[in-house]
Amino acid sequence: MAQQNGTLEQEKTERPMTLVQKTIIIGFVGGVFWSLIGYLAYFFNFSDISPNMILIPWVAGDWKYGKAGNYAAIVLIGILSIGAALLYYALLRNVRGMWAGMVYGAGLWAVVFYLFHPLFFHVQPVAKLDANTVITTLCLYILYGVFVGYSISFEAQEMNQPSASEGKEAAKEGS
Amino acid sequence: MAEKEKKKTPIAGNLIDNAKFLQARIGVGTSFDLGVRKIRVLNREVHIYYCNGLCDTQYIIELLKQIVRVNDDERQESQAWKIIENRLVHQQVSPVMSLDEAVDKLLSGLIIVLVEGESTGFAVDVRSYPGRQPQEPDTEKVVRGARDGYVENIIVNTALTRRRIRDERLRFEMLQVGERSKTDVCIAYIQDIADPGLVELIKKELQQIHVDGLTMGDKTVEEFLVKQGYNPYPLVRYTERPDVAATHLLEGHVLIMVDTSPSVIITPTTFFHHVQHAEEYRQSPGVGTFVRWVRFLGILSSLFLLPLWVLFVLDPSLLPKSWAFIGPNKQTNIPIVVQILLADFGIEFLRMAAIHTPTPLSTAMGLIAAVLIGQIAIDVGLFVPEVILYVAVAAIGSFATPSYELSVANKISRLVLVIFVALFHVPGLVIGTTVYLLWLVSIRSLNTPYLWPFIPFDPAAFMQIIVRRSAAGAKVRPSIVHPQDRQKQPT
Repeated sequence: MAQQNGTLEQEKTERPMTLVQKTIIIGFVGGVFWSLIGYLAYFFNFSDISPNMILIPWVAGDWKYGKAGNYAAIVLIGILSIGAALLYYALLRNVRGMWAGMVYGAGLWAVVFYLFHPLFFHVQPVAKLDANTVITTLCLYILYGVFVGYSISFEAQEMNQPSASEGKEAAKEGS
Repeated sequence: MAEKEKKKTPIAGNLIDNAKFLQARIGVGTSFDLGVRKIRVLNREVHIYYCNGLCDTQYIIELLKQIVRVNDDERQESQAWKIIENRLVHQQVSPVMSLDEAVDKLLSGLIIVLVEGESTGFAVDVRSYPGRQPQEPDTEKVVRGARDGYVENIIVNTALTRRRIRDERLRFEMLQVGERSKTDVCIAYIQDIADPGLVELIKKELQQIHVDGLTMGDKTVEEFLVKQGYNPYPLVRYTERPDVAATHLLEGHVLIMVDTSPSVIITPTTFFHHVQHAEEYRQSPGVGTFVRWVRFLGILSSLFLLPLWVLFVLDPSLLPKSWAFIGPNKQTNIPIVVQILLADFGIEFLRMAAIHTPTPLSTAMGLIAAVLIGQIAIDVGLFVPEVILYVAVAAIGSFATPSYELSVANKISRLVLVIFVALFHVPGLVIGTTVYLLWLVSIRSLNTPYLWPFIPFDPAAFMQIIVRRSAAGAKVRPSIVHPQDRQKQPT
């Protein structure tokens, strides 16, 4: 297949991505991965909330309660999560380490379950949710926050370091 | 350092003084393995000191023949030193300026030639250490591929590596570590790829090791290097395969080889270095990827299968309707958690026993374990059959983990999770797993995040973990080693 395009696989070059591009990918993958884990937790009844909680207020039809609704919701969370990652990028990318990510995740959880609660009228208020659901969702949000936050901080840190390879490549371009 | 320089004892012209010094210092004449051969060449005394067992007698005899023949062929007595140097027919002859230097070399197996009236002697490298031939390492077998493995001799190990990388920029820097053992430690890296900062850091850490001896070889060095404490997770990767070591050198990793160890240390290492295996790279990329996914499944089940099952037994309402068949059907006499722990420790007994049981007995041991313990424990009502099933699957998952160190660490984590689940049910599993993951994320080994490229996420590198890339497709060196040259293929 590669030969048909006129280039061998080994001749293609991989360009390094910019930090914003990486942030977008990190956000999307983080959203999809952790909401999949969330769906698994719902499947095993650890939590009463499944990813489709975000579809239910907006979409008509019964499909939103089934598997299709959940998978669609997972993709949608992935897309929304890009926004969350970009927000982290804008505010906190220069904070070192994973703690900022943990706090960010917990903060997101508070925003979703307290501040945005009026949007999700079908979800019980936090005080009425059972303990397992609260613990499971909070843990997932914290892990999500670390995933997104630590990844972005780490990449920002790596790019700030004047690494040996960049110097070399700059020298090549200059000559 | 300067003080040490001053203390060096020069070689005396009078050989009796030298003999007295060596007798007092290293016990020539007391220790049976140190000896001296005295001959006369051109009217001068020549003493040849050797350490029995570390040098090759055939070479020494050949050298002696040549030197003794000097008496028949040469007449210029004033040139004795030069003539003897010429007649030491060996490629590795170096002058020795002090007795301290001579002692170091003598004890590592070189022979020392001292000539009467001269303040400079010779050291001839006729070393031949007792050791085995390269064999396939037991812990990293492959179906196809090179069958040679590292041995206990560092010279053979560097040679096995050099055989695979003839690059002029490959460096083997030798240091000596250990006040008494003076063990050779070698840092291997490719000069224009490896991160010079990392090489410096490792060199500095190695020089700061103050210990009398490195009897446990690379493990001792590792404990000084990564300061692991009681963290069970392996912070460096070991390999006994020269092809794996060479691959990592080309990726920009720095290797540490320690004399007397048949394995080398690969730095820096992340969690995901421990879940790969040479076998995946010996199969086609598709098969390699399949093997890797199955392996991941094994590793995941070795970690989470038992805690999940215990949770479902304790709280069957969690199970989806279609999964309701899971869980013991009969009433049991012993709590499930205790059964799980007993069975898991039983397998641990077996594993430990298998390490030091002689092969003829191990068949009998396997028989006892499988038939007697497994079946009879069920028959007498000690275990429910499901316990045996799940513990066995988790144990096989451990054995499918390519890194032995990682499998043991995972086993400990699994036991902790099982206990958490037994105590706190769902919150125990969820919080336990979260804390476990966060703890793994927080580990840094030689400034490298342990769960990279999962957290911190690196899309390209993560793809390389998920999919075993073809040799032509893997063009970029992993960014985590900070390679000076990102591209693998020369442009």
